[in-house]
Amino acid sequence: MIPMSFINPLSDEGKQIVRKDGGDLDRIYEENNQLIASINSIKSQKISDDDYIPKNYVDLVIKRIEWYVEKKSDSKNKFKKYAFLFDSKITKFDVIAFYILCQAVGIKFGPNSRESRAIVELQGQLIENRLEELNFNRRAKREVVQQVMNELIVEDRIRWTLLADLISSKKISLQDLVLKEGNIILDREEFMEHFEEMIKNRQPEKMYNIFIGDRIKELIIIKMIMQNTENYIKNVHEMSNTVEPNPTLLKIADEISEALSKEIRHYSSGFAGGNAEASPLNAELFPPCIKLALEGIKSGGRNEVIVLFLTPFLSYARLNPSVFGSNTTLKISDVDPDLNVTKNEIIPMIYDAADRCIPPLFDDQPQEKVNINAKLGFGMHSDLSLQHEGETKWYTPMGCDKVKMNMPALCKPDEICKRLKEINPLFYYLDKMKK
Amino acid sequence: MEMFKPATLEERRIYYREEWDIKQVSDFISNSIENREFGFDHFGKGPNDRYKVFNTPDYLKRFLKSKTPFAAYCSVAFYEKPRRRKGWIKSELVFDVDAKDIPIRTCGCDDVCEICLREAKEIVEGLIDTLKGDLGLKDIHLIYSGRGYHIRIFDADVMIMDSDVRSQILKYVVGADLPKDKYDDDNGIYNLEHFSIPFGYPWVFTQRVKYAINHLTVDSKLEDVNGKLLKDVLTNRNLLERNQWGLFKTNIGPVRYKKVIKAITSLNMSLVDAKVTIDLKRILRLPSSLHSKVSMRCTEVKNIDTFDPFEDAVPGFVWERNE
Repeated sequence: MIPMSFINPLSDEGKQIVRKDGGDLDRIYEENNQLIASINSIKSQKISDDDYIPKNYVDLVIKRIEWYVEKKSDSKNKFKKYAFLFDSKITKFDVIAFYILCQAVGIKFGPNSRESRAIVELQGQLIENRLEELNFNRRAKREVVQQVMNELIVEDRIRWTLLADLISSKKISLQDLVLKEGNIILDREEFMEHFEEMIKNRQPEKMYNIFIGDRIKELIIIKMIMQNTENYIKNVHEMSNTVEPNPTLLKIADEISEALSKEIRHYSSGFAGGNAEASPLNAELFPPCIKLALEGIKSGGRNEVIVLFLTPFLSYARLNPSVFGSNTTLKISDVDPDLNVTKNEIIPMIYDAADRCIPPLFDDQPQEKVNINAKLGFGMHSDLSLQHEGETKWYTPMGCDKVKMNMPALCKPDEICKRLKEINPLFYYLDKMKK
Repeated sequence: MEMFKPATLEERRIYYREEWDIKQVSDFISNSIENREFGFDHFGKGPNDRYKVFNTPDYLKRFLKSKTPFAAYCSVAFYEKPRRRKGWIKSELVFDVDAKDIPIRTCGCDDVCEICLREAKEIVEGLIDTLKGDLGLKDIHLIYSGRGYHIRIFDADVMIMDSDVRSQILKYVVGADLPKDKYDDDNGIYNLEHFSIPFGYPWVFTQRVKYAINHLTVDSKLEDVNGKLLKDVLTNRNLLERNQWGLFKTNIGPVRYKKVIKAITSLNMSLVDAKVTIDLKRILRLPSSLHSKVSMRCTEVKNIDTFDPFEDAVPGFVWERNE
């Protein structure tokens, strides 16, 4: 039987493991013979290099991240050196590593950081791959999926509204669910009852397997565990504001961040439009929507376009065009330490576009200058100064979806937009930049 | 009798002082009046008089009878402090179908007419079917706005949803995304067209495409669809009456078929005004108030089958105009 906590470390079983074996943070750097022995007993594990085997909890935490980073650049690879991550023999250690990871990231970086998002995604992918590895033992897999699901969802029927958080964060799409009067159809009998007679020219059984089968169930538990992981990180972060953070966890957080950032150094293409260095803006490479916005807005919605759309785009295009390909959080000053570029190149472009609006934006709404500073991460202040950096978040560029909804007049997709599947205007810029 | 003509100041006075009654304001407003923000347009230049609050329906009554505004609006949001639009509690989920903005209309009129108002109602019926049948929403009110319809939804669990979820609901019910056509299970990958799947989103999408194709005219403009292709669609669309989608696709040609449904997918996005649905702080025309630009009454629709705007939403003064 597969332990539930191998799939869901946040399950009651997982919490018990932590209570029983997880207590001592001072010892997590110590060599753990039990851990080493259990990994060595895994047959599929590659052991040709001693470095493949984590020696303690922190090693295990870092191995999880290394797997995630390598997998991202080479998704087909099975990575025999990480085989232990997919064997339930390590459950006990794995659960504790999960909690260390979440706590370290929660304390140091908080729930909205790129690090946290990467950890949540890591957990999702880990579960997905673990379930995939279980394919040779379908019965065990179904059993554990059902158990985990039962614990996650107490009611018999799952209303789609329960997944609102997941839908909002785009971890689940409403369109992937089969819905009947508000309930998500997961059960075979229920599916047949509602749809069997309507299905023509195909076997209803097959349709059930394709649309619901085990897949959507797995998807739902994965997404729910991801959401719970996010919530857990958030809780840790909130708690950490009231107590002195543990120095060991802070140290591990730095190691985690370093392991996550390796991706940028070693694997520089293939994800989210690839990577590019900060370099002066070239307006000819801008997508149609940005070009339009730069001409100024002649009707309603000036604030949104200038503050929420243009400001993040121009600042990221200039300073951190690869933001969506990286796992780590940057501040403007990480790239532009004295803010010279921001003040002399980016802000003037934004102000020019604001002046071209009719009426000019700052004539009737001078407070929007403060909002522009806020979106660059410098708090709600009229001056852009380093001492306020971090009081607000440096907003990432709005995706095409949001542009279409909020400012449809700007979206005039050209061939390049279409080829890039209209995801984010920044990808357009990156794409042209690389050519 | 002249319809759709703007109401004069005098007509507005007659309407609010003689014809209008506070009891005509929907209960869903009266019962939560102290949490709503009201807005008014006094001069026909947009609702500039905002942040108004009425603690009881009686105050609203006195206000309307004395000011007889050009237009009256009320927030879809409930606030702790509506006077400052602060302390957001929840918002109705709203779909705004304006007859003038429907992407495919058979009438070809410049503004609104009987035909496109009827088409707006058909679209609304389709949306409500999906909202009930798929999403299981129950507390749904339909309002005739004066030149289209507002679907206003009060189910507790959707009223607290954010804009991102609302935008996904919107895309689901209008059919604004192309459904995927490749599916897999343990045994392999299957190509399944949306019309061969009688449930879930693909089914909703099929309904919307069918509606759109049935309402195309030779003058319709579809992105990336030329005159010849449009003509072929019109010639073959009777096949869809009998749900012979496969044959329809074959006759059109698979590549051209894809072009057609792609174009319809992007048109579907404008079946409703997306901005209204995702905006948690919108104000919407107050049911029972006068739409002065077209001299029609914003009216709650009690029975969608029998509702006829030309019977049920024309104020008395319009009938008397030519007498």
